Amino acid sequence: MKIHHLGRRTLLFFASLLFVLYVLAPIAWLLSSSFQSEAEITSVPPHWLPHQPTAENFAAIFQARDKVVTYENRKQGDSATGGFIPSTAKNLLPSMWNSLLVAIAVVILNLLVSVPAAYALAKIRFIGRTSSIYFMLTTRVIPDIALVVPFFLFVQRLGLLDNLLALVITYLAITVPFSIFILTGYFESLPDELDKAARVDGCSRLQTLLLVFLPLALPSLVAVVLFTFLTSWNEFLLALMFTQTPASQTMPIVVASFTSDFTISFSFINAAGVLAIIPPVIIAILFERYIVSGLTAGAVKG
Amino acid sequence: MARIRFEAVSKQYPNGYVALKDLHLDIGDKEFLVLLGPSGCGKSTTLNMIAGLEDVTEGNLYFDDAVMNTVPPHKRDVAMVFQSYALYPNKSVYENIAFGLRMRKHPKDEIDRRVRDAARRLEIVPLLDRRPDQLSGGQRQRVALGRAMVRQPQVFLMDEPLSNLDATLRISMRAEIKQLHQAMQTTFVYVTHDQAEALTLADRIVVMRLGLVQQIGTPDAIYERPANMFVASFLGNPSINFLEGQLAQENGQLLFRRGALGLNLPPHMARRLAGQAGRAVVLGLRAEDVEMGGVQSGGDSLQGRILSVLPVGSDQFLELEVEGEKQFFRVGKEGQYKVGDNAALRVNLNRLHLFDKQDSQSLAG
Repeated sequence: MKIHHLGRRTLLFFASLLFVLYVLAPIAWLLSSSFQSEAEITSVPPHWLPHQPTAENFAAIFQARDKVVTYENRKQGDSATGGFIPSTAKNLLPSMWNSLLVAIAVVILNLLVSVPAAYALAKIRFIGRTSSIYFMLTTRVIPDIALVVPFFLFVQRLGLLDNLLALVITYLAITVPFSIFILTGYFESLPDELDKAARVDGCSRLQTLLLVFLPLALPSLVAVVLFTFLTSWNEFLLALMFTQTPASQTMPIVVASFTSDFTISFSFINAAGVLAIIPPVIIAILFERYIVSGLTAGAVKG
Repeated sequence: MARIRFEAVSKQYPNGYVALKDLHLDIGDKEFLVLLGPSGCGKSTTLNMIAGLEDVTEGNLYFDDAVMNTVPPHKRDVAMVFQSYALYPNKSVYENIAFGLRMRKHPKDEIDRRVRDAARRLEIVPLLDRRPDQLSGGQRQRVALGRAMVRQPQVFLMDEPLSNLDATLRISMRAEIKQLHQAMQTTFVYVTHDQAEALTLADRIVVMRLGLVQQIGTPDAIYERPANMFVASFLGNPSINFLEGQLAQENGQLLFRRGALGLNLPPHMARRLAGQAGRAVVLGLRAEDVEMGGVQSGGDSLQGRILSVLPVGSDQFLELEVEGEKQFFRVGKEGQYKVGDNAALRVNLNRLHLFDKQDSQSLAG
């Protein structure tokens, strides 16, 4: 009996180990190669731990702001040995700032809109309630690419082309339905009588929402924050359509542009990749406690 | 202080379901009123309307002559205890009790005084720092009571607060709620489907069924003089025995006749129903309104074949087949009864109930 358990445990352990390696391997390579020079990256077999770690890629990213890369001086660094900087390198940090601004705006506006909406849909019985929920969800069935042209016309009419606001508005359109869905599910699992108790205790509907329901809904709020942040942070297609100049370009666009340059410097791109994953990782660490319970709509016993 | 009046109040939901029809109810100040009925009868809806948690579709609701139809719950001076207690899970017991007072902006020291006072009365002082999920069912119920008590409201509303407790706790909590009512001198409106609870606690009972009021009266009046067959059958344990039959005039005596069974009507009933021989009626006879030793074919004798004998400690229950119907009666445990024998019981004729067969209404007046 004990051996059976032991065997099962070791099997599970190794299976989990394999899975973890599978998930973390690309990120490990990303980290490791960002500290390698271009020459070292291409060595065979690949060096998982840099033999000659160098911070020149990161230095290049932060210095690129000041340097102007032209056709003439682009080969100051040699792509084979490192030090090569893509021509759009100086846009990287500003683009990350744009991404951050857009993501934060989308998260905040998402919460402002979907929390009251979810409370109303979950707790107030009004005509058209069920059809509202289904209607909102079905809008997400339409693939984003089919929405590009209508969105473009919309944004152009508003004069918001090449403006971060265009991204904020369109990202809201694609994230709010799902946020409402997550939150409504969670609010519905909170007992009705809790709502009644709060209102008889002296809360208006708004106070009930803010003082009683929100503190209880933290796990699902975290799920919403994570989902909307990651969607905005990673979104490529709409950003590609609506942004034309570095003034409004977001990080995915700029990083992608590195690969369509005169020559490609993988170490530089990977260094940019490392910077790109830092904000989501920070958020995940901050909210680690709530992630699992928020995504699997929990029940609160009153 | 708090006189609550329903005037022709109806409640219909958007999907067409009618929960309440034409309710007229006058709740006196400091009264303990119980709304009693089976599920779906509209008693919780009525309670929620007093609290303001449900809208009034038609008619008017008055608190002391002020129309309250559109006043939201947080502006009414009512407190409510729920069947599931509905304690705030992320707040301590102290915070749960204090919440209502905080929302109404009472000064801090007064809140503290009232909370500790209520906790002392309910014997939950050692629990003040705990969370609801660390309490037993009975303890949570006391916290829910405390939360309502500290508000010192004009009206106490209770929606089946004892249903989730085990049987012994339920009975002891009934006594405590009764004492609470005496101590607080406030109007209590209590909803339950348990007729024993209603009979124990109420000053007056409102029996409801399918959105309509069946009868309003003191427990005694409702038990002794039920207005219709539903009320008669809903109160009393075991349920009242019904027998269909007719009124008959025999030898100058008006009586209930069904086959071989003939029971003389008591004088006041005979007077009321004089000349109505032949009318189809339903006889109601409670299990406890019989005695052993009926005289054969006397005007108060009930006979039947014994189907089962169920001893219950101090008495025994007899299941008799009387004129083709199964009836339950309670007799003392002295008698020896055997299944299959014929038994004769003497009926207390003053305790007969008669109902019209068509509309189930009481004929006792």
